[in-house]
Amino acid sequence: MSAHVIGDTAVLTGRSLKHVTRSVDTIITTAVVPIAMMLLFVYVFGGAISQGASSGKYVGYLLPGILLMTVASGISYTAFRIFTDMTTGIFGRFRSMPIARTGVLWSHVLTSLVANLISVAVVFGVAFAMGFRTGVGVGAWFAVAGILALFTLVLTWAAVIPGLSAKSISGASAFSYPLIFLPFISSAFVPTNTMPGPVRWFAENQPVTPIVNTVRALFAQQPVSSDIWIALAWMVGILVVAFAGGMVVYRRKIS
Amino acid sequence: MTAHTLSDTGVMLGRSMRHITRSLDTIITVTIMPIGFMLLFVFVFGGAIRAGTDHYVNYLMPGILLIAIASGISYTAFRLFNDLKGGIFERFHSMPIARSSVLWGHVLTSLVSNLVSVAIIIGVGFAIGFRSSAGVLDWLSVVGILVLFTLALTWIAVIAGLSASSPDGATAFSYPIIFLPFVSSAFVPTDTMPGPVRAFAENQPVTSIVNALRALLQGQPVGHDIWIALAWCVGILLAAYAAAMVIYRRKFA
Repeated sequence: MSAHVIGDTAVLTGRSLKHVTRSVDTIITTAVVPIAMMLLFVYVFGGAISQGASSGKYVGYLLPGILLMTVASGISYTAFRIFTDMTTGIFGRFRSMPIARTGVLWSHVLTSLVANLISVAVVFGVAFAMGFRTGVGVGAWFAVAGILALFTLVLTWAAVIPGLSAKSISGASAFSYPLIFLPFISSAFVPTNTMPGPVRWFAENQPVTPIVNTVRALFAQQPVSSDIWIALAWMVGILVVAFAGGMVVYRRKIS
Repeated sequence: MTAHTLSDTGVMLGRSMRHITRSLDTIITVTIMPIGFMLLFVFVFGGAIRAGTDHYVNYLMPGILLIAIASGISYTAFRLFNDLKGGIFERFHSMPIARSSVLWGHVLTSLVSNLVSVAIIIGVGFAIGFRSSAGVLDWLSVVGILVLFTLALTWIAVIAGLSASSPDGATAFSYPIIFLPFVSSAFVPTDTMPGPVRAFAENQPVTSIVNALRALLQGQPVGHDIWIALAWCVGILLAAYAAAMVIYRRKFA
């Protein structure tokens, strides 16, 4: 990226962030469902759920999955914002100006990153209020933040595709429902070894489980094993595919 | 009810039932969410939940049936709201028809359609391993409780349907009712919950109804839960019926 591209992206990110700060309710809405899930599973179901080898408070077991759900529900707004920009013709106006073309997309991606990290921080705050504690060092916190940032980038680039190609608002945001559902069939809520054969096989071989296991291990100050590499492989792989797909759709739309 | 009222109600019921049979997707939509919850809790969470039973589906089934009914009655409110806005009530009132039959037509339609939904869910339950040691009398008791529960919620739906100002408003009342089974003994035993949550769960209507149904389906003694369940259902039914009739008369005085 040249200085010109970075400058343009920064200006456009500022524009998108102003939209977010003027409707803070989107961040609240994004956090409400995951927080409700956390309250329900900790205070209603938590006492009856066996965590297997993981002893301690269930909120500590649950939090990594809830954080991923927060990000998954947040990116539907990214698709919505891109769709709105597409239909109102602002993309066309930007094209007629001396602006780096990729800057428009990257601004939405970076806005998504910032907005989702704020939502994640809100969820963290609620978790701490509910009794979540971790004694991890700065390095582990950075690792968690890095994984969540990478996960957000992955899903955001996945959101760019429906945002650019959807025909309606509901179509633009509907793609996020299966993503929000994925953590349910993973190790996010219960250990996978308590699930019956085919469900267990799916849960253990889908991207959310290694990501959840990695974040959980980091919080619990346990060795992260091979999960971190599987998690990174999934995320980088999906990111590359989604980025390529997003750019192809973008070029087709504005060429 | 006179023979005249009964026959009018029969005609109105036939009319409402035709609407349902022409859009079977409503029954499918009503059953999809409870079946989704049942599959999720049995096959994903069930193995990790300590519910004091070998087959978690047997523990879960009563709560799922109540969720199905709770999600089904939103359609009753919606249909009632549509009739109200479409002006069909006024047309019926200009005819020699028993006034109460218009409402009872909707109520009985709700009862029939919800029992169909319940039957579908029990069928899916059997397919995924639900088994019951209940006798004929136990099953009749289960059906009786479900009918009473459906009637109680349907009359609440009538209030919403008559007084709402938008279709969303007509159906929104059902969300807290759908949520109630989650904070009850439907999914996990209440003694695993922390103090205040447990106090709420043990003293709200769904828990006693779920416990009574669960005991009946497993051929166990129902204890005093059945009387608490019946008291809740009858109490809510009478209060909702009275309120609905007041609103109905005000609307068409």
